Amino acid sequence: MDAREVSDPILLELVKHALDAIVDEMAIALVRTAYSNNLKNSMDMSCALCDAEGRLIAQGMTLPLHLGSIPDAMRHVRRKFGDGVRPGDVFILNDPYEGGTHLPDFYILKPVYRAGMLAGWAATVGHQLDVGGMTPGGNGCDATEIFQEGLRIPPLRLYDRGRPVDAVFAFIERNVRVPRQVLGDVRAQLSACSAGEKALLHLIEKYGPERFAACLDALLDQAERLARNAIRAMPDGRYDFEDWIDDDGIDPGEIPIKVTITIAGDRLIADFTGSAPQVKGAINSPLPFTKSAVYACVRHLIGGNPPNNEGYFRPIEVIAAPGTIVNPVMPAAVAARGLTGFRAANAIFGALAKIAPDRVFACEMGGDTGISFGGYDAERRPFVFLEFLFGSWGGRPTRDGMDAASSSVVNFSNNPIEIVEAEYPLLIERYGYVPDSEGAGKFRGGSALVRQYRFLEAEGTLQVRADRQKHLPYGLRGGRSGTPSMNILNPGGATRQMPSKFRHSVRRDDVFRHALAGAGGWGNPFDRDPALVAFDVAEGKVSVERARRAYGVALDVATGEILTEDTNRLRQTARRVSRGQ
Amino acid sequence: MSRVEPGGWRLGADVGGTFTDLVLLSPDGRATTRKVLSTTANYADAILQGVRELLASAGIAAGEIAELIHGTTVATNAILERRGARTGLVTTEGFRDLLEIGRIRLSRLYDMDQQRPVPLVRRRWRFEVEERLDHKGNILRPLDPRSIDRVIDAMLAEDLESLAVCLVHAYANPVHERAVAAAVRARLPGLHLSLSSEVLPEIREFERTSTTVTNAYVMPVIGQYLSALETRLDSLGMTAPILIMQSNGGVMSARRARQRPVQIIESGPAAGVIAAAALARRVGAPNVISVDMGGTTAKASVIEDYEIKRSNEFEIGGPISQGSRLNKGGGYLLRTPAIDIAEVGAGGGSLVTVDDAGALHVGPQSAGAVPGPVCYDLGGAVATLTDANVALGYLAQDRLPSGLVLAAEKGRRAIEEQIARPLRLSIDEAAHGVYLVGCAGIARAVRAVTIERGRDPRDFTIIAFGGNGPLLAAEMARSLEIGSVLVPLAPGVFSALGLLEADVEHHLVRTFNRPLDRVADGDLARELAALANQARDLTLTEGHRQQLATTSAVDARYAGQSFELTVPVPDLDAGGLAAAIAEDFGREHERTYGHRAPGDPIQIVNLRVIARVPQGTGRQAIRPATEPTAGQAQRLAYFGARLGQLSTPVIGRFDLAKSARPGPLLIDEYDATTLVPPDCTARLDALGNIIIAVET
Repeated sequence: MDAREVSDPILLELVKHALDAIVDEMAIALVRTAYSNNLKNSMDMSCALCDAEGRLIAQGMTLPLHLGSIPDAMRHVRRKFGDGVRPGDVFILNDPYEGGTHLPDFYILKPVYRAGMLAGWAATVGHQLDVGGMTPGGNGCDATEIFQEGLRIPPLRLYDRGRPVDAVFAFIERNVRVPRQVLGDVRAQLSACSAGEKALLHLIEKYGPERFAACLDALLDQAERLARNAIRAMPDGRYDFEDWIDDDGIDPGEIPIKVTITIAGDRLIADFTGSAPQVKGAINSPLPFTKSAVYACVRHLIGGNPPNNEGYFRPIEVIAAPGTIVNPVMPAAVAARGLTGFRAANAIFGALAKIAPDRVFACEMGGDTGISFGGYDAERRPFVFLEFLFGSWGGRPTRDGMDAASSSVVNFSNNPIEIVEAEYPLLIERYGYVPDSEGAGKFRGGSALVRQYRFLEAEGTLQVRADRQKHLPYGLRGGRSGTPSMNILNPGGATRQMPSKFRHSVRRDDVFRHALAGAGGWGNPFDRDPALVAFDVAEGKVSVERARRAYGVALDVATGEILTEDTNRLRQTARRVSRGQ
Repeated sequence: MSRVEPGGWRLGADVGGTFTDLVLLSPDGRATTRKVLSTTANYADAILQGVRELLASAGIAAGEIAELIHGTTVATNAILERRGARTGLVTTEGFRDLLEIGRIRLSRLYDMDQQRPVPLVRRRWRFEVEERLDHKGNILRPLDPRSIDRVIDAMLAEDLESLAVCLVHAYANPVHERAVAAAVRARLPGLHLSLSSEVLPEIREFERTSTTVTNAYVMPVIGQYLSALETRLDSLGMTAPILIMQSNGGVMSARRARQRPVQIIESGPAAGVIAAAALARRVGAPNVISVDMGGTTAKASVIEDYEIKRSNEFEIGGPISQGSRLNKGGGYLLRTPAIDIAEVGAGGGSLVTVDDAGALHVGPQSAGAVPGPVCYDLGGAVATLTDANVALGYLAQDRLPSGLVLAAEKGRRAIEEQIARPLRLSIDEAAHGVYLVGCAGIARAVRAVTIERGRDPRDFTIIAFGGNGPLLAAEMARSLEIGSVLVPLAPGVFSALGLLEADVEHHLVRTFNRPLDRVADGDLARELAALANQARDLTLTEGHRQQLATTSAVDARYAGQSFELTVPVPDLDAGGLAAAIAEDFGREHERTYGHRAPGDPIQIVNLRVIARVPQGTGRQAIRPATEPTAGQAQRLAYFGARLGQLSTPVIGRFDLAKSARPGPLLIDEYDATTLVPPDCTARLDALGNIIIAVET
């Protein structure tokens, strides 16, 4: 096709598809060659392309919470190396105080050269299985300064004009518990960069560098325009919302995350003033991560399938004072910052629900919980198992929340139980729904999930980052909260209820059960279609008692049929009571 | 049942959602085709009608048909329309929700309205028994017979028709699943049974469960359908055996299909690829991309070194997505060998829209047959790709050669009002833009099976078929710098022809899961040979006595990775088997991903055997009967701003000669129009295929 003569919208559509396909190819190369669970199965990684100026021009549809952080990583590499970047170089960093967001996330960036000129960048972010430090898995909550969290890598050359920089590889190899997996995953990230480089060059060749650059400008503008149009359609005003983290694992106090969203014409400002000062525990969220949460959430309200580039960031401003939990300063610990990112997203969605009440869901449940088992087997070989657990979506203005689904600001998979058992000294004894855990609503929240592990090695360390034991996933418009999360050690035996965040020595046959919180409901549960309640009861997700209590639906215990008169009476009484108040 | 003697009449029947295509092949290789409307109430009725017509026109008796080969969407539709059996599921205690939880991935990002498919077995019908195995098949907790009795008691009240049994690690040891099956059979003898250790003895509990459940869900439907078909054919006096096209492109006996219906889910699309592969062999083109574009979707598949590519899992029933291939969970996951076909929502009926940023989209929603494109004048109001093709002059303006009357002006106006005006373009420019975005849709499918698998599409020839493939293929090829496009005879019923080209084929897989460096060559060879024997027994019980060709392969990965590459094992008896596998795996890893990791341990995950009963060699090329050529005419057609409108000759296929004729040309036929763009040339090869040379 002679693209030179097609009108712009078509050419742009072609280039946009081509860029999307390239970042997909990068992600597939990464996932297929990765060694660690968290990359290959959970897909805790992202791939992107940037132009020569470091602008994000394409972002894989994998993990929105990573997306907004890539421009910051690019900025630090370019600031540090500037004109010193040469063909064959590859850069690496993980330092949250110089371009990263927490130590396990390795940013690997490869400049792409065409005829000796810098033409763009292929970028990957991969959550590595281990970075040394005090907690296997690099995700502990109990560090109180960054120095306890493991290997810090400032922006460095990993390859220098095509040759590996041995010193960097050697430092990594010597400082992590499971070097074979970590170096294997670094190779997987390099693979993805090479795939991106090759495909990007082919694309530039096809359209010519000048026209390609013009397309990028236009695609960035297109994304910006779609975002501005969407924001302009929102009513001007200030909308605030506050959510809480139970505690930081060190100090007992609750931690507020407050956001005020201001809509002013075609601009959106997310201001985190009122959020807690930075905390001792490792849940501080570096600014790039906080910004990513804003971008990811706002994107849910931008229709029209915009190009996946940074253009849509332009009308969005994020205000977060230094020294707060959403923009910590040295030496704050940040390993478990994911929790705060998810909570920030919950708060942002809460504010967005005031802007678009007919579209936004009640509070989801997922991402808070990270679980790692680490130790050494009888032959002193190290093992580190790491996984993040996701629950379900909140109720929506038109339908129930999905039971069992990744959080909408990431896109994780769960780990196959049979693979986990074949590779790690663990038995997974249960994975399923918790009845009566959903946030009741006209459209109910998703049911909570429970997962139970039995530890099979002589001894090891269990580390858990969880939350929502006290502050529950909120409902909207009269919808109720879901049930709290639970950490239980040795259920049925010498049972111990554990706090939301802990590190604990485990021995053979210790059992750990984690139940996630239930997601919030949308709308008054007494307005829920009784047939839907009856179906949930028939499916065993809701009990007959709860149907009566939470939904005002009376069911025949034996047949499960709706007792219409009783139901009407229950609901009328409830309405009278609520009017009386 | 015995396989057809060479020389008998053979019948292919490809049942689709709208049309049932039939091909009757004479002993000397002449093919007669029929298109009849599908009868959705019972698909067998349309087959019966078509067979009657074909028999009459050929003047033969039903008894002279030696073999019926059948491609069917009955299983697919049962899933898509949720008309499968009342199906139960038995799992290990603690895991009844595995099926519904799935892998939790979202099929679309940023979409707050998305939904996941309703599980094929509702929670109430999912039962747990007390037992547990470990990954080596050791019994950690014996199966408690009382728990089975409790489960069967509960099932009695639910009037189930079919049951799937999927216990954790059953791939490593089937003993508990068999015990459950025996107990169920004793008390519920009429229940259809599917065991995961038989349907898919492979590690990964959700994938195995989802596949086994799907098998159970469609098993009674397929059984009833095949019985109905057999009854009707019996009434004609037809006694020929029925063979069913599988998703993997091979055929299996109807009896086997009743047991493993999950293997015929992609029966329909597979036949087109088989036809393309057969044609590729005939014309001596080893590397081919089949491009099949109908009214709703475009499908692409790669044939490399004459070999069809297969993948080991796919999803069915999800929304057709133009989004990332990484976003799964929109459909029902099936882990069963299928021809690797990429499908995008771009076809003739695809709706064309302009979003509020001024970007142009073609599909994925389709106007379908009802209400259809605006120019069909059957009530469609939204502009479609076909309307753009009419506006451009690519399609006839008054009626299609098939007889369908067109209201070209209405289609043109839809393009003007809905596309040209919002984009501030002329009608021609807008329609041409739609056409190019439609081409880009096919290109995306082609990319998915080439570039995203490390293959350069420029090394391939396109074989284009389906109602719209021949119209867009050459322009699409140009965008990927592919130089050659072949449009076969009878492109509209090409898939039905593929049914007659398929071999009887069985794919067996078994989890092995051992490090390569701890496997003795003899062990590996023995295990593979055992699997091959199993395949041989299977074909013998089906009544095939011909020479069987088996090929062996292993799925391998670097220890720690989660995705395997399939590496062929050419010679089981050769020495140094492990070393050869290590080298071949390393080379394939490097080819696919750009690096290898010498020294890293390699894990052999699965053993695979494909057993094939080849069709008789030397069978003649199939020649569809063709219609007379259209009269010479001209149409004004638009080819972009540089060339503008050109007076374009409209010719019949056999007006082309062996010497190349320059484009632009439009070749109108009964079931499709082929476009030869300017800067391209077209000629006819000795077999009657149109060969388009694309200027890239």
